[in-house]
Amino acid sequence: MTGAAAKPPVLQLDGIVSGYDGLDVLKGISLTVDAGEFVTVVGPNGHGKSTLLKTISGLVPLRGGQISIDGQRLSGKPHETAMLGVAHVPQGDMLFAQMSVLENLLMGAYLAPDKAVIARRLDEVYALLPKLADRRNQIASSLSGGERRMVGIGRGLMMGGRILLIDEPSLGLAPLIIDQVYGVISELSRAGRTILLVEENPARVEDLADRLHLLDDGAIVWSGKPAELMARDELLATYLGG
Amino acid sequence: MTDVLMAILVAGFTSGALYALATVGLSLVWGSMGMLNMAHAAMLTLGGYVAFTVITSLGLPIALGFAGAIVAGAVAGAILYFAIVRNLLKNDKSTFEANVMIATVGIGIALENAILLTYGGQPLKQPVSIAGTFRLGPLTLPWQNLMIIAVVVVMMVVVSLALGRTRMGRAIRATAQNRDAAQLMGVAVNRVYLQVLMLSGALAGICGVMVSSMTQLSPPLGNDPMLKAFIMCVVAGLGNLPGAVAAALGLALLESFVQYALGARWGFPSLLFVVIAVLIWRPSGLFGRAEIRRM
Repeated sequence: MTGAAAKPPVLQLDGIVSGYDGLDVLKGISLTVDAGEFVTVVGPNGHGKSTLLKTISGLVPLRGGQISIDGQRLSGKPHETAMLGVAHVPQGDMLFAQMSVLENLLMGAYLAPDKAVIARRLDEVYALLPKLADRRNQIASSLSGGERRMVGIGRGLMMGGRILLIDEPSLGLAPLIIDQVYGVISELSRAGRTILLVEENPARVEDLADRLHLLDDGAIVWSGKPAELMARDELLATYLGG
Repeated sequence: MTDVLMAILVAGFTSGALYALATVGLSLVWGSMGMLNMAHAAMLTLGGYVAFTVITSLGLPIALGFAGAIVAGAVAGAILYFAIVRNLLKNDKSTFEANVMIATVGIGIALENAILLTYGGQPLKQPVSIAGTFRLGPLTLPWQNLMIIAVVVVMMVVVSLALGRTRMGRAIRATAQNRDAAQLMGVAVNRVYLQVLMLSGALAGICGVMVSSMTQLSPPLGNDPMLKAFIMCVVAGLGNLPGAVAAALGLALLESFVQYALGARWGFPSLLFVVIAVLIWRPSGLFGRAEIRRM
């Protein structure tokens, strides 16, 4: 028995319930993400994957349960959640369309304490995503889908948060571009970033994720290693259409 | 002929500068909050009266009159936020646009009547004026008009730098373009709304001083510039700041030319004709995007 208390997980969800108008979309979800871990939530469309990330980041109000970052309970206000280190890369990128790539990245560092930190993060993002350096003065609305996704990820990295929430990075992209995007995410994971990613296709994360949760109708119905899920044909057929 | 043309241009640019100042304040609030501030006219009037009080009643320098107008406008914007906007935002956001418009109509009427009760209905002369003219070769330019254009240009540069170069400005633009994404980046959007209303109020205050320096102070002082500013906002595309400035200058020049060519009574109808044509031909405005982001 040691005297040191166990470190709380970076992200902890305890029975969270949330939704829109009168409808509960998430019906009591509990999960944890430890430091440096890559956790994925997979599930069919319309079953609450994006709502899960939006609830964590505060865009969708929490109706029940609680969310903690490093043991600290979240207030539910998005800007305060960002201050605690939650960097959300939303579905559809949600870039600032009339700003340049550089301005979008700088918005990611909105909470950064000083210019030196911003410059260091910008160097890191350009090293990982060199195309963004070439496009730095281009207006975001003029970028291709893949480039927009890269800016979204770069902006999330500029936040320098404790955990990166990534919402369906493959959505609407050509297969070649999806491979590039997942290549970047893989590098981030290898570099020790803590990641919670939601995805419709479990095959995309089979070799990347440490743990995987299967979400159906707002509830987690199965948890385990990605390879275990891929070996369970009946689960894939029942919940993900084969 | 050159003299006439120059007179029209000077009058047009002076009106355009004033309209631009009023339009930018309105457009800034719409663009970032989806809020049509119907109390903008009364805030403009308030600025004119505060400058008058500071200079005439307190006997302080004109510069402090300007400062007083800026502070009064900013404080009025802050009160509007804390008393009305913040509370309406807590309710159903889908009804915010209609509710805030109705609420600010009431605030505008109350403020205008408070000014009427305080200062009376008789017109007062705004002491911020420069007599005389400036001769440039064959051209004669009134100092008063030049001062107005200069002040407006300075204000536009300040606003442009504030929005383009500062952290606060980036947060305002980010909120205007994508409110949810701005929040995810750590922007406290309610603080941004407060800043926008204070900035818009300060611009209205300065505009009130300038407008009253060309005419006279009276409680409904802000109504005419506000109405024209609204027309210019619609023509430009609601929420588009550079477009609003361009529309203000273009329409003011048009108004001046029409007033000279057809008579003063045709000036305002010509603006209405343009706004109707724009709404038919291009409903999102000349520089506007077809999709306008709502709360």
